[in-house]
Amino acid sequence: MCTDVSTLLELQVRLRRAILIGDTAEIVDAILGDGLDPAARVGIYHHHAFATLGEALQGTFPVVCRLVDKRFFAYAAHEYLREHPPHSRCLAEYGADFPEFLAGFAPCQGLPYLADVARFEWALNIAATVREATPLQAQTLAAIPLEDSAYVAFRLQPSLSYFASPWPVDAIWQANKADEVPEIDLTSGGTSLEIHRADGAVVWRRLDLGTFAFRTALADGLVLAAAMSAAILKDSGFDLVTALRQVFADGLAVGFVVSPERQNLG
Amino acid sequence: MAERAPIADDAVGVGLRLPHMAEIAATRPQIGFLEVHAENYMAETLALDRLLELRRDYPVSLHGVALSLGSAEALDRDHLARLKALIEQVEPVLVSEHLAWSAIGGVYLNDLLPLAYTEASLELFCRHVEEAQEGLGRRLLIENPSSYLRYRLSQIPEAGFMTEIARRTGCGILCDVNNIYVSAFNFGFDPIAYLQALPVEAIGEIHLAGHHAAEGVDILIDDHGSRVAEPVWQLYAAALRRFGPVLTLIEWDTNLPALDVLLEEARRAEEVAHVH
Repeated sequence: MCTDVSTLLELQVRLRRAILIGDTAEIVDAILGDGLDPAARVGIYHHHAFATLGEALQGTFPVVCRLVDKRFFAYAAHEYLREHPPHSRCLAEYGADFPEFLAGFAPCQGLPYLADVARFEWALNIAATVREATPLQAQTLAAIPLEDSAYVAFRLQPSLSYFASPWPVDAIWQANKADEVPEIDLTSGGTSLEIHRADGAVVWRRLDLGTFAFRTALADGLVLAAAMSAAILKDSGFDLVTALRQVFADGLAVGFVVSPERQNLG
Repeated sequence: MAERAPIADDAVGVGLRLPHMAEIAATRPQIGFLEVHAENYMAETLALDRLLELRRDYPVSLHGVALSLGSAEALDRDHLARLKALIEQVEPVLVSEHLAWSAIGGVYLNDLLPLAYTEASLELFCRHVEEAQEGLGRRLLIENPSSYLRYRLSQIPEAGFMTEIARRTGCGILCDVNNIYVSAFNFGFDPIAYLQALPVEAIGEIHLAGHHAAEGVDILIDDHGSRVAEPVWQLYAAALRRFGPVLTLIEWDTNLPALDVLLEEARRAEEVAHVH
């Protein structure tokens, strides 16, 4: 029998479909029974792919798994995998849109904070998989002409995430790391969090609203003047000099450019 | 970069998994080499930092599981570049991949999926191995997979397919003895005949691992989750009689035991190698 690459491609596309969707109709005729239903043979690969990818998600979202229990997590992961199979071949990079999936997943609607806990765990995962860059020294800024200082845009540590939630997600996460989960006051208010890698460990902390707005704006690439405006909107007493000094003290800035784009101020 | 730790041609290594890292770093047990799944270290994780520390004391082998050399489409150049970058950091003694495909159309299925063994797939696979070896600037070892299905299209026996890949591309063969045993059981072929069909000069490493019987069907599943089975130890002895001294790895990836259990398995492999 003669084959070419297009035949092989067709075979692989059909097996992919059978593994992901569970629809074996288009592949079974291509498989030898060898004493067993060909669909059952495909089922071995289907089971392996879903089991191992589900375990990878569980490793990235352990507290989400604990909040919903393992069986429900496996069900949610299964549905997610069908709709959002991995594109990266490194499993640590799989699951970026799992929080969004959970936010829209009807069976999870009774846990309104679940998607935000997932967002928090994804930010922890980013911090765990991105190495720290060498921090910029504050004195580097001395070379910038005063008239340009408002148009400086910083590049921050690549492991950084800023994330705000109406729920106390860090407290929920911390409590669920322990064997005995203490009572969490879900009405205790939201959180504005900074998550990154520092000194070889993943760390996070709550920020006040002004600092959070300022650092989020910097992380989004806005110039200093625009970041300051964003911060003042949240905290009328915001002090730029102190805030900037703290960014450097925390080792968060790793580079900068002077932007001539005044529209960034908007 | 520190000097690379030396390796004996009959060294026995163990698969390095995250839960064992701290203990190995603290106790520095006698291990011939460590092997890791390349994809687990492509991100800049703390685990990568620890691996780079361990490589000062142990030879390290990189075992790729996702290059998908058997895909009926172009190689993923980004993934190849990430593998090359990791190789430059780790300076491994071996780099290996699989006779399998795992991604098609941009979707990664996280499994080593079987190929149809035809002349067209042989040409395609060889082209990908050559492209990878050229891109990485080094020789690859290609591992025989464990399989649970065969295609009607297949015309070439797997051992012959492996042999021809090695002949055409100059790559080496990673002979997974457990995989031969599992596939031989699942499809009813003679595992000794498979060993006999492989070219001695191409063998660069042997893998040993555990498997289990699937529930309700007469199928063995390669799970890397238990001790090496007795018939696989016997097949390993037969492999050494045919191949001579070969680097050997104990793989254990699921249901991880205490490190001591892994080291016991490595000691047993050394004893078998000593006798043969």
